[in-house]
Amino acid sequence: MATASAYRSPGFDFSNEIRNNFLSERGVPLPKATSTGTTIVGCLFKDGIVLGADTRATEGPIVADKNCEKIHFITDSIRCCGAGTAADTEFTTAMISSNMELHALSTGRKPRVVTAMTMLKQYLFRHQGQVGAALVLGGVDATGPHLFTIHPHGSTDKLPYVTMGSGSLAAMAVFEAGWRPNMERAEALDLVTTAVSAGIFNDLGSGSNVDACVITASHTEMLRNYVKPNERVQKERSYGFRRGTTAWKSESIRQMVVEEDITFIAPEAMDTS
Amino acid sequence: MSIMQYNGGSVIAMVGKDCVAIASDLRLGNQSLGISSNFEKIFAMTERTYVGLPGLATDVTTLHEQLRYRLNMYTIKEERTMEPETFIHLVSSTLYEKRWGPYFIEPVLAGMQKTPSGAFRPFVASTDLIGCINFAKDFVVAGTASEKLFGVAEGLWEPDLEPEDLFETISQTLLNAVDRDAYSGWGAVVHVITKDKVVKRTLKGRMD
Amino acid sequence: MDISFALTGKGYVLVAADTTAARSIIKMKSDEDKIKVLSPHLLMAFSGEPGDTVNFAEYVERNLRLYHIRHTYPLRPASAASWIRRSLAESLRSRSPYSVNLLLGGYDTATHTPELYWVDYLGTMTSVPFGAHGYGSYFALSLLDRYHDPEAGLEEGLAALRRCIDEVSKRLVVSPGKYKVKVVDKDGVREIEL
Repeated sequence: MATASAYRSPGFDFSNEIRNNFLSERGVPLPKATSTGTTIVGCLFKDGIVLGADTRATEGPIVADKNCEKIHFITDSIRCCGAGTAADTEFTTAMISSNMELHALSTGRKPRVVTAMTMLKQYLFRHQGQVGAALVLGGVDATGPHLFTIHPHGSTDKLPYVTMGSGSLAAMAVFEAGWRPNMERAEALDLVTTAVSAGIFNDLGSGSNVDACVITASHTEMLRNYVKPNERVQKERSYGFRRGTTAWKSESIRQMVVEEDITFIAPEAMDTS
Repeated sequence: MSIMQYNGGSVIAMVGKDCVAIASDLRLGNQSLGISSNFEKIFAMTERTYVGLPGLATDVTTLHEQLRYRLNMYTIKEERTMEPETFIHLVSSTLYEKRWGPYFIEPVLAGMQKTPSGAFRPFVASTDLIGCINFAKDFVVAGTASEKLFGVAEGLWEPDLEPEDLFETISQTLLNAVDRDAYSGWGAVVHVITKDKVVKRTLKGRMD
Repeated sequence: MDISFALTGKGYVLVAADTTAARSIIKMKSDEDKIKVLSPHLLMAFSGEPGDTVNFAEYVERNLRLYHIRHTYPLRPASAASWIRRSLAESLRSRSPYSVNLLLGGYDTATHTPELYWVDYLGTMTSVPFGAHGYGSYFALSLLDRYHDPEAGLEEGLAALRRCIDEVSKRLVVSPGKYKVKVVDKDGVREIEL
């Protein structure tokens, strides 16, 4: 057993590895984790970067989460969209975000997008593609706006407009047709929305709403659920059950409020004899 | 046959008006052979935080012990109880730590979260087996009957149910979903959590 | 191929296991004791991989004995079961895991209740009113669903157990011949001739 400490050493723990290999040798396939069959995009415009993402998380053919967040915080002016194994994108971006903060603190400068990109690609390369995170990294720093894609094996691209995930083809088609250099903010945001929507409606792995994020030198604006093209309509009637419908056998109640009766007894005169 | 289906079992949690409910079946099996009809998968971690651990039964016990240990260490060190939202992150990091050799569990959590004003807010969440958190505003499900639970809950759940109505909705959702799952069932248990009490009821379900 | 049954009754737990030690298709021995007495009020029927079984049972026996000597009191059934489960779960994460299935019957002298735990080689543990391991479980569990009574006296309990054993003898192709039956109650552990 571990030592009785509240702190744990960082990094991965392989203690179940032997057992799980043993189980899979006995012919049981190991299960899959939640993956974000996703549409994530990003594009450059006149003053900065616009990032976009859908909000569907899937587990095989099942929609596990209808409104998840795929645009992750890295620093105030850097954000990262994640596709692939959901837990990997979540934890990888969280770790890089915290390392970026430490880096900013130790250098005393606003951190750069290339720094985050390098940290991410080195981490992903070290794990040889086993950490299944496909990322779109965008932000604005002292050297201007930057937009990258980072693949699970650690390769990166620097492009004016990028898409990733299962809906990347649909979204890229929109960018190819509509992207121009030096677009206005509204135009760019519109284009990103159209690109993500193309993924939402044409790719089964993507769905629900459009999240967007506009990053400029002076300001970062997170537009959570910027467009909701798949709002659920009001149910036509209530499907509540009459109380007492469910038969139950036993009940136990854990009362958090303890009731006390306090009886005041008339104070006796102090015995001074 | 996946290892996640080896022992069977399902859990669901739902949000109501100033209350949450979490329910599970009671079956423990060895594939198709039923072993126990009294295997509880829902554990009270703090007064107002309940966690359901469907999946491989040996990991249900191991992970419960592990979480209880880490929760206790937190409670001693911080001298305060852990809130549900903190707890789901503890669950998440505990699972992700074993990213390359996971526990075969998909935890479901229900609890009442203390707000800065001192009031309580209903909170449910779930994670996958490597700790990706799903914060849902309505309901979360997991286990061998999860597909059925998704469907039934999507149809029956409605916002702002009072504790007694939430009990009926979650019970009927679970009971009807597990009746269509061979690996779940054999009785059920429901916990309805409000700010000042937790009502636990064992349901009458099909025993086949 | 081992078969073991156990059931609780009013103030007792009955544990039965076959006595055959086989290797491949050869019967090597027919009076093997597969029920270990772990402490004054605790019994453990073990089955699984030959070699692992006895080795693990002795490991458990000695550790629980050590606990008893160190603390004067033996572990209560629930705590003992929990420790044994953990040993199995940890073993499963080692290079050479024990492949042992257990039925743990005990009498809690503090609460005066009989307790029975079903444990398998994965470290799955559950408290049950009756349980079985091996091919016998397919017959015994359905029979005990019908005939088990947690409030039954010892004679009735033995009758239910006999039903299971008879059914296995009648229907199982490779049924073992003899069984050893042990009971644990407030007076401790003793063997019963069927």
